[in-house]
Amino acid sequence: MLKNIALFEFKTRVSRISTWVYFAVFFALSVLWIAAAGGLFKEANISFGSGKVFVNSPFAIAQTISLLGMFGVIVMAAVMGRAVQQDAEYRSHHFFFTSPISKLDYLGGRFIGAFGVLLVIFSSIGLGAALASLLPGMDAERLGPSSLSAYIWPYLIVLLPNSLLIGALFFTIASLTRKMLPVYIGSVLCLIGYLISLQLIRDIDNKTIAALIDPFGSSALSRITEYWTVADRNLRQIPLEGVLLWNRLLWLGIAALVATFGFMRFSFSRFAAPQVGGKARLVEDVPEEMPRAALAIAAPATIKPAGLAMLPRLTWLNLRETVKNIYFGVLVFAGVLFLIFASTTLGDVFGTSTWPVTYQMTGLLGGTFGLFMLIIIAFYAGEMVWRERDNRLDQIMDATPMPTWLPLLSKLLALMMVPVLLQILLMLCGMTIQVFKGYYNFEIGLYAKELLGIQLVDYWLLCALAIAIHSVVNQKYLGHFIMIVYYIAISFMSALGFEHELYKYGAIPPATYSDMNGFGHFLPRLFAFQAYWTAGAVLLVILAYLMWTRGTVGGWQERLQMARGRLHGGVKAGLAVGLLVFIGLGSFIFYNTNVLNHYRNSKAEQARQADYEKKYKATAKVPQPRITAVSVKTDLYPQEQRVRMSGTYRLKNKNDVPVTQVYLAFYRDDLVIHKLDFDIAAELAENDEVLQVRRYQLKTPMEPGAEATLNFDVELATHGFTNSGSNTQVVYNGSFINGRSILPAIGYEENGELSRDQDRKKFDLAPKDRMRDRDDPEGLKSNYISADADWISFETVVGTDEDQIAVAPGYLQKEWKEGGRRYFSYKMDVPILNFFAWQSARYSVKKDMWHGKANDVPIEVYYHPGHEYNLDRMIAATKASLEYFSNAFGPYQHKQFRILEFPRYASFAQAFPNTIPYSEAIGFIARVREGDEKDVDYPYYVTAHEAAHQWWAHQVMGANVQGGTMLSETLAQYSALMVMKQKYGEAKMQKFLAYEMDRYLGGRAFEQKKELPLARVENQQYIHYRKGSVVMYALQDYIGEDNVNKALKALVEECAYKGPPYPNATILLKHLRAVTPPHLQYVIDDMFENIVLYDNRTTKATYKELPGGKFEVKMSITAKKRKADKLGKEEDAPLADWIDVGVLDEKGVPIFLEKRKFEKEENEITVVVDKKPVKAGIDPLNKLIDRRPRDNAVKVELIS
Amino acid sequence: MELVINGLSKTYPNGVQALKDVTLTIPTGLFGLLGPNGAGKSTLMRTLATLQDADSGSAHLRNSVGDIDVLRDKDAVRRQLGYLPQEFGVYPKVSAWDMLNHLAELKGLANKKERLEIVGGLLRQTNLYDVRDKALGGFSGGMRQRFGIAQALLGNPKLIIVDEPTAGLDPEERVRFHNLLAEIGEQVIVVLSTHIVSDVSDLCPNMAIINKGQVLLSGKPHELTRTLVGRLWATSIPRSELAVAKQKYPVISTRLIAGQTRIHVIGDTQPGAEFASVAPELEDTYFAAIGGFLGDRIPAAPAPAPAPAPAAA
Repeated sequence: MLKNIALFEFKTRVSRISTWVYFAVFFALSVLWIAAAGGLFKEANISFGSGKVFVNSPFAIAQTISLLGMFGVIVMAAVMGRAVQQDAEYRSHHFFFTSPISKLDYLGGRFIGAFGVLLVIFSSIGLGAALASLLPGMDAERLGPSSLSAYIWPYLIVLLPNSLLIGALFFTIASLTRKMLPVYIGSVLCLIGYLISLQLIRDIDNKTIAALIDPFGSSALSRITEYWTVADRNLRQIPLEGVLLWNRLLWLGIAALVATFGFMRFSFSRFAAPQVGGKARLVEDVPEEMPRAALAIAAPATIKPAGLAMLPRLTWLNLRETVKNIYFGVLVFAGVLFLIFASTTLGDVFGTSTWPVTYQMTGLLGGTFGLFMLIIIAFYAGEMVWRERDNRLDQIMDATPMPTWLPLLSKLLALMMVPVLLQILLMLCGMTIQVFKGYYNFEIGLYAKELLGIQLVDYWLLCALAIAIHSVVNQKYLGHFIMIVYYIAISFMSALGFEHELYKYGAIPPATYSDMNGFGHFLPRLFAFQAYWTAGAVLLVILAYLMWTRGTVGGWQERLQMARGRLHGGVKAGLAVGLLVFIGLGSFIFYNTNVLNHYRNSKAEQARQADYEKKYKATAKVPQPRITAVSVKTDLYPQEQRVRMSGTYRLKNKNDVPVTQVYLAFYRDDLVIHKLDFDIAAELAENDEVLQVRRYQLKTPMEPGAEATLNFDVELATHGFTNSGSNTQVVYNGSFINGRSILPAIGYEENGELSRDQDRKKFDLAPKDRMRDRDDPEGLKSNYISADADWISFETVVGTDEDQIAVAPGYLQKEWKEGGRRYFSYKMDVPILNFFAWQSARYSVKKDMWHGKANDVPIEVYYHPGHEYNLDRMIAATKASLEYFSNAFGPYQHKQFRILEFPRYASFAQAFPNTIPYSEAIGFIARVREGDEKDVDYPYYVTAHEAAHQWWAHQVMGANVQGGTMLSETLAQYSALMVMKQKYGEAKMQKFLAYEMDRYLGGRAFEQKKELPLARVENQQYIHYRKGSVVMYALQDYIGEDNVNKALKALVEECAYKGPPYPNATILLKHLRAVTPPHLQYVIDDMFENIVLYDNRTTKATYKELPGGKFEVKMSITAKKRKADKLGKEEDAPLADWIDVGVLDEKGVPIFLEKRKFEKEENEITVVVDKKPVKAGIDPLNKLIDRRPRDNAVKVELIS
Repeated sequence: MELVINGLSKTYPNGVQALKDVTLTIPTGLFGLLGPNGAGKSTLMRTLATLQDADSGSAHLRNSVGDIDVLRDKDAVRRQLGYLPQEFGVYPKVSAWDMLNHLAELKGLANKKERLEIVGGLLRQTNLYDVRDKALGGFSGGMRQRFGIAQALLGNPKLIIVDEPTAGLDPEERVRFHNLLAEIGEQVIVVLSTHIVSDVSDLCPNMAIINKGQVLLSGKPHELTRTLVGRLWATSIPRSELAVAKQKYPVISTRLIAGQTRIHVIGDTQPGAEFASVAPELEDTYFAAIGGFLGDRIPAAPAPAPAPAPAAA
């Protein structure tokens, strides 16, 4: 019987059109996705972490199936929920429940049948992926060997278990409630699980719990593959182990429990009973009372057809029906739960939260929560549009003389009220969270602007869309599904090259709020797009009106006819006005984005880069003069977002041949160039306005050693607004202008070339090496900061608004006011790199002083009033840094140290000479709880890092070759770590380094070209920062901090202010080797010249008490060392390594720690300690790179 | 006042022709639309209730003051219309009072005082006043149907359309319902569709028989019945002979009585010695019409449809 029921369910569903619509959509998405990642579309820009990952690799297919399968939750709800709910809706349960079938037959059969349908639908994803990889036109380099198991396996471990467990949950909900709404609420709850896991994962201590909490298993999948290199991704099958296995078991277990509960509770009679509850109790009929009153029909009634006056009441009724039920409460509860979870990792950097400033809270409420809101809107739109029909009240309602627009508008308004209520609730939650975190500066105005002014409009646009879709599609579940398709389309259009917001319904470029600059210049664009899409929404609502189902209309033809009937005067006028406004605003936006500004999608941007390379690569060999002095007058007009820079470059021919022509290039093509000339006779021979390259022919060549002056006067003005991005260099308050982005560059800029091979291929450019070899003499001629200058002298005058302070590298010479503006003159007294910036804002300044041995150095922090939280930390870090570095490496070259805050349009700090621009996003609002075990004082760390750059970059500058950035970034990391260690101790460093290790290992997966050893790093951040930290910390542990410092001091002595030729990693390694004892020389090889990973673990540790209060600890240790190649392919490496063996107490503090030489894989080690051991093992403090650091030390068990 | 339907046709997208050239004139009072399931009654009712468009034809609601084109001027019709669909539901958690009040608002009873009076009055008349605060989800079929009639009466409609209103009611409820309808039918047009012959014969001064989208007969029930006077013959046969009899005679209906099958046969002359002439009832006319035995000789009600000529009698 069960079989028959299952087969019947399966057959009836499979023959339904909706099944195949789902199938087709998933199939199309899968084909599109894989084809885009496989390079079929030139515009597309999609990859699985790295372009080197084959699109048909087991990893890529698993990702595709898992991700698209997550969107499939809506299908699971429709298919699984409907499998039983349909009997309640169509009242067909009478037939089944009166048949001699058991509960098991009925429920089991329906479930199996529906599950079969899900199998059919979801098979489309794998089929689509397989088909896509066979399409002609796919980039052969992005296709690997294909295997059937790569397609089957992800189903077995992800999608089928998901269908089973989520299906079982939905099925149970539907069979107990007989309704679909709770099923959809269930799907939202599943999603919340996923969202919470995304939030939790930001703290590495939470990664395991985060992987477990996601019912889709997607986070678990990410977790077990997060350290997979390109080679792993291409070759390895996803193993069903660890958190993934646990996740699957956990959720299948939960689903089994729920299903069992549902099965026990389900009874035919309850299911068949009338749906009453709460207020709806069975009512006894009243006996007829005779005589009755005369018929009211006789009473005259004034009929005034319902109209606008009824709208508020109907809206309220619709809203009440939506909000006043348990499911809405569940939703709200889930939302609040999510918020509470998410707020625990608010703005986490190194597992340390920021203060819950309002923009952080609103960002949290708007970001991931937006998806949640989208689903609520989509669901309730369907519920509202279908409410009368679902309750079979439609005929009565439709026959009343109410105008057709009345139900439509009242439903739309009611739907629009739902996000209003939620947003207000979220606002209250946000403030509550702020209170709990001890933050009392409630910016209610900002809350209102963000939540009710910006986000709410987004949601309202969605409401209009959802109502329109449900009205037009006129099929509830298909309508829901189309909303999901809309969401997917909107999310991925950009990646497919459709980047203009004008054709993405509801797309509004974000307005980033900054405490410093408020909403700044973003508002006009925001309003323009809001108005544009509102007009679009009005058109949609008119469309919804035209297609609104009233009465029992049949097919499309009839509905179109009906629509035509409704297209009378007023509607036509509305349509015309709506269209006019829509087109008008669209044109206005287009005028701004494409006429006043240049609009280029990524591909067009890449094409520009390719053109530049094709056209000018040859000129790289043309000898060019180099800049030796820069003098700029910078006039900032913050309120107009305009800056004008005029001044001079002093040029010198440092070649040994004459210079006959000079190439000047600008990065931007929207500058006004007022003046560009030389003090020697030169003719503008070629002017490429498209690529902004100018060639000047010198009348008389510059002989070697000859000098000349270039006069320039350029202006960057802001006109209207752009489609994406914006001028965040000059803003109302908090300008930060990097000179290199505006001032002319000399000669060919190799950095302007396309670097990723897959991009180069699109434009028929041969693959190229990212950087020159470490010792390439040509490469040593330039530093990696600027190709057209060495060490220069610098002076500037900067003018700004009267109430702002403007700062640039150098020392203040003079400050004056003139014409309502304020001017500052700065001059640098030592040579600097061709690397400088101007900042201007309404700053407060905190001053302090570092008393050095030789001289005192004033410290100034320019900050936004209100951001006082971490000023003392920054100042303390500065002092500690200057102290440590000047002792260890050599004197600080400047007489002053300044930190300047800038708005959070970017989140970094950057070291310019004696000047550190520091984003408000990374440290100014950090909340480091004193004494908290986990919090990392990252404002301290960032400050120390930037301070270290005054040595590592501004004294010792690496050449533009492999390993060049190791001299600056890695050494700055090392220096900062030492300052941190001094203050916070070894234990805290472990917390920090755990993040660094995690980011290094995770970064490998996204390698676009090849991973290189540290000493050959090609400006790869995960290597020079993250691996750099781990390696340098280990190095100082192996050979001693003093020795490392000795080597670095020698480096400074040899290389400070040197170049060309510029120093390289070879020189650094020479100094490091010089201080390394012979038996540890291999460490230098492993750390800097190779990619080495350990797979160390302790399998067992026991102890017994010895007389005299001593303890004997025995450990079984597996030691393994592996070497990886550039794509992460690994092989075992011979082991003869000195590695820590340690015993830890209950706080994790070593009671025994000693380097032992390991020469074989399996080792038994016994040590005797004085204190009771708690954990023991190999490399217990995780100094070496190891993907599973936590199995290094294990609990020590007592043996008797 | 009368409702004049002329040449109304409707074909569904799947090819089913639900209405074929329906022409009827419906005067004030109860009008019974009789036909088997699937005859097109509901299509006709929904079309008259403005819920569906016809492919061709017209319908007009005429009275002394004006003429409303039912198919085009839907809003004007809706202001005069009370409609009780064949199947309808309610919001289960809403009380009878609230629901009726809400519908009254939608009907356009804007004056609150007046509306409350009417809502209260209707609930009293339909004997639901005592349970007015109870949620509709708990109502029995009969109560629900009475609620349906109450809402159809809102706003003093001139045209009331009730589609199969007595389906699912117990005999007592049915009687009550009939009384209610009869009372209403004194002043306005009430179009009542049903497949139960006695509903019509008991209630309706005027009627039409409809099958496969076509009007087969229309007129007053007793006149329609009269067309069969002298042409209806009955006999009892064993059940085993039924098939033979059906081949031999134009059998319009069969009925089991005490184990014997009683057949009614139509014919201008006595079909055989075993047949006796019987007095026709409306049911016989109905079966004869549905069976196609009247269609040939008695044209579908001509417009403006007086009673068909009793010529054959």
